Amino acid sequence: MNQVGTDAKSLKQVRMLFGNQQFLLLLVWFAMVAFFTAFNSIFFSMAVFGNILLDWAPVVLIALGQTFVIISGGIDLSVGSTVGLSGVVAAFQMQHMMTNGDNQWLAIAVGTLVAALVGIAVGLVNGFLITKTKVVPFIATLVTMGAAAGLAIVYSGGAPVGGGPDKAIELSVPWFGPFSTPGLIVVGIVIICGLFLHLARFGRYTYAIGSNEFAARTAGINVNRHYLKVYALSGLLAGLAGMFFYCRLGSGAPTSGYGGELDAIAAVVIGGAALTGGIGRISGTVLGALILTTTTSGLIIIGVAPDWKQVVVAILIAAAVLLQGNKNGSRGGSK
Amino acid sequence: MSAPLYEVRNVSKKYGSVVALDGADFQINAGEIVGLVGDNGAGKSTLVKILSGAHKPTSGEIFLDGVSQGWDSPRDAIEAGVETLYQDSGLAPHLTVSANVFLGREKYVAGPFGKLGFLDNKAMHKEAHKDLERVGIAVPESNRSVSQLSGGQRQAVAIGRAVSWASKVIILDEPTNHLGARQAGEVLQVMKAARAKGLGVVFISHTLPHVLDVSDRIVVLRLGKIVANAPTSEFDAEKLLGTITGLNTL
Ligand SMILES: Nc1ncnc2c1ncn2[C@@H]1O[C@H](COP(=O)(O)OP(=O)(O)O)[C@@H](O)[C@H]1O
Ligand SMILES: [Mg+2]
Repeated sequence: MNQVGTDAKSLKQVRMLFGNQQFLLLLVWFAMVAFFTAFNSIFFSMAVFGNILLDWAPVVLIALGQTFVIISGGIDLSVGSTVGLSGVVAAFQMQHMMTNGDNQWLAIAVGTLVAALVGIAVGLVNGFLITKTKVVPFIATLVTMGAAAGLAIVYSGGAPVGGGPDKAIELSVPWFGPFSTPGLIVVGIVIICGLFLHLARFGRYTYAIGSNEFAARTAGINVNRHYLKVYALSGLLAGLAGMFFYCRLGSGAPTSGYGGELDAIAAVVIGGAALTGGIGRISGTVLGALILTTTTSGLIIIGVAPDWKQVVVAILIAAAVLLQGNKNGSRGGSK
Repeated sequence: MSAPLYEVRNVSKKYGSVVALDGADFQINAGEIVGLVGDNGAGKSTLVKILSGAHKPTSGEIFLDGVSQGWDSPRDAIEAGVETLYQDSGLAPHLTVSANVFLGREKYVAGPFGKLGFLDNKAMHKEAHKDLERVGIAVPESNRSVSQLSGGQRQAVAIGRAVSWASKVIILDEPTNHLGARQAGEVLQVMKAARAKGLGVVFISHTLPHVLDVSDRIVVLRLGKIVANAPTSEFDAEKLLGTITGLNTL
């Protein structure tokens, strides 16, 4: 207990020194890289970074959507299941097109579209439940989490759905430093999300609703429509993550997104967002996801059982939450 | 006599089995300050939310400039020129002062990015500062987040926001709560300035001397019913208190 207290204090001092939470996250990540490299120099290689980025891309995709959701004051537990469901549905579509002898690239494009649409559909169901039936986001998305996971298993028979375009796997090969084509697309999506969250009306309304829903409503914002959009976006990004896994595995596995919602929430919280809404940044989420996936790879490479990842993640979340408590405390106290 | 600027006729509001408002008639004219008073739970805030479009009345009619209105959302009332300062602060604490002032009516950058909803924060900072100043309110820096402001500063921003956007009616639900004497005095001046501009002002307060000072007319609510509606000259502090508590009737 005491240990945690002093750690939080020194963390706070570090933060005050640098001012910026994202900078602190970057330092944490550098420290992790240095730590893992010190234990096993193999860690510091293009191959390992390429692997980390392959893990990072789908996590950050669904964490981006989760960032908007959490800033709006909600939560989306359905994204992990949506990844599996959209991957399976897209896989069947691409399999069908391959047996018809269609062009491989066309099949990939249509598959991506199908995955995106499946994700948006789940997101709209979430938004509908939350705005029309007034179910709290936690319960609404818990319901769709179960439903989507069940559908994915039933639809696929529980096994990965293959027989699609071979070019999909080739896409996952890194060619731009550690980045593959889908990885570069994810980077593009990160940038677009950052612009819309921090510089555009869409983000402004997301913060406003999470900060004070009544204020947003009485300022004339169509709050329900915005919730629909936010959950649809979260679903869309989960759908794209499903397609990302397809390209990586060469098949649509119903369990490919298993636990993804927890990784996403962890990334967002480590990135500095508050589950109470109104606070969070894309840069924080990006780094949070990077720290998360670096932990997994690093532990494997230094020969520690990957199960320890959960412990490390728990510590990181606790540190992030402590840091946030300090921030709010010092804010209130300085007045 | 012409129709009042803003009017509700025979409005009632039930929250489940609670009758918060029971057949109330209420009018406000251009260039008039109406004091709306009543004990806690009398239904003042409920009437405010009906006037502002935040709640739909269970029954009754609403008229603006003599035209029947059925507000579907606060946006409708806002667009018609009715601005409201709610009792439970209507600001988003995580946003800056200027983001709050412009919430729901943001300014966009020129060109295609503006069409995509990209915000012109610089212009909003500048204008928010000017708007608040024009209203006559001590302005905190408009690029600070509202959570960093004191209660009085927040209230000032909320009032400034409402006054600078109102074109017909402005409704202030307990605007002087949590304010010091000097700041409260500023708010009363702001209301008088709004009246001089020709706005209809609805002023809700528990501070009876304030109400007697600035109001042209006073309306008293008790247990959801209007029990008095008369020019301020017909009241003194004692009589007003008696009407509110039900010890005497007008
Ligand atoms: N959202 C609500 N749900 C249920 N009851 C409410 C709600 N808002 C107000 N009331 C009830 O309606 C009555 C009038 O409340 P209100 O209009 O806030 O009074 P005032 O502003 O005059 O103090 C009170 O009995 C209050 O408890
Ligand atoms: Mg009230």
